[in-house]
Amino acid sequence: MNCEKYKKLIEKYVDGTINDSELAELKAHTKTCQSCREEFESCVGLENVVREAFLSRTGAEEAKASLMARLAAEPSAPARRIRYGPAWLADRRASIAAGILLAIGLTLGFAMGRASIVEPTLAEKVPMRVSELDGTVLVKHKGFDVWQTLEAGENVHLGDTFHSAVKSGFVLELEDKSTIEVNQNSMLALKLYNGQTQFHLEHGRCTAALESPHPPFFISTPHGRVEALGTEFTVTVE
Amino acid sequence: MTDEFKQTLSSDEQLISATLGGDMTAFGTIVERYWNMVVGLAMSKIGEPAEVEDIAQESFMKAYSQLHSLQHPSRFAGWLSKIALQQCANTVRKRVRCKTALGCKATGVEELNAKEAEANEHRLTKKQIHFVKQTVRQLPEKFQKLIVMRFVGGLSAVQIAKQLGKRPGTVRVWLHRAYKILRKDLAPLLEEVKQL
Repeated sequence: MNCEKYKKLIEKYVDGTINDSELAELKAHTKTCQSCREEFESCVGLENVVREAFLSRTGAEEAKASLMARLAAEPSAPARRIRYGPAWLADRRASIAAGILLAIGLTLGFAMGRASIVEPTLAEKVPMRVSELDGTVLVKHKGFDVWQTLEAGENVHLGDTFHSAVKSGFVLELEDKSTIEVNQNSMLALKLYNGQTQFHLEHGRCTAALESPHPPFFISTPHGRVEALGTEFTVTVE
Repeated sequence: MTDEFKQTLSSDEQLISATLGGDMTAFGTIVERYWNMVVGLAMSKIGEPAEVEDIAQESFMKAYSQLHSLQHPSRFAGWLSKIALQQCANTVRKRVRCKTALGCKATGVEELNAKEAEANEHRLTKKQIHFVKQTVRQLPEKFQKLIVMRFVGGLSAVQIAKQLGKRPGTVRVWLHRAYKILRKDLAPLLEEVKQL
């Protein structure tokens, strides 16, 4: 069998320039040609092995959340488009722009106030608060699309999801003074389960220090639920 | 517009322009697009997984703060890869300085290798992952970068050429050369994996 064409397609696969129909054609060919099958499988195998060995432990989405949090918390490093022209003009330009923005803002604010746009409302508060916070922690309330910066002392709501960035962490204090300390690079969500607030650790690490005696206390993870038998325990999800 | 949609449709140039115009979410899309590539590049130089992710974060922070100085937005990934490798070099230099001048307990290479071997839970065994990384690290510098950009970053040879300001033919030749070396050196491991 003349396999020159398919050898070229395998090269294109390695280059990453093969298109879907060419790939389908190559795959169909490898079903009947052992030499090309071995060659192609070896390419796919090598690619997979390298990708897996160099895979990030943190997903791109999670990394994005962390970086966005850092950028929001460190306004000292803004990216700016270079403006040409004399400095006085730049200042004037900035003040004109600010004036226009202010006018737009006022008009919009007025219009929105009149139009009574339906906005999502916060879910009910749960009896706990953020007692300590280090670095940058974001919170996303249920029904909202945006992540906001969490502050120490803030109350929390059912359905909240918390994300702590690198070198950041926070402590949730419950009504009975029990605490849940969430470490860096962690994601914790508060959900309602059987009428009770449940803690779901999606990834990262948290330590619960419970006042004794305490009612049954669980932390759920993607791998199962962990029940507190003593007064202090740590859960890690990698 | 959903993030996935945005990520597929927007070019680097558009995202950079939006970022420079104050749209921080556009930079978020850039981070998502190149996170794996930057981590992969850092891993090709540094053993400690936590340190690698710190380096990747710092690389993106630096890219963000210096974005206005980027001459060719269409070569963003190439520019970002240089920043990442520079961050790695700084880390290694600091570690050496710390070890020699202050006598502090910086992590040694052997220790790093042992640590990185502990840190995965995938289909490959820890030993196999370590072996793959070591094999890639032994490639010439320019080949390492290509392999990571191609297999981890998911860029094609043509895109890599554009990003690095090289001719596509040159990148293809390098890529196939690197590929040939890896196939030879990793042959026993590929056999093992195939039999699973």
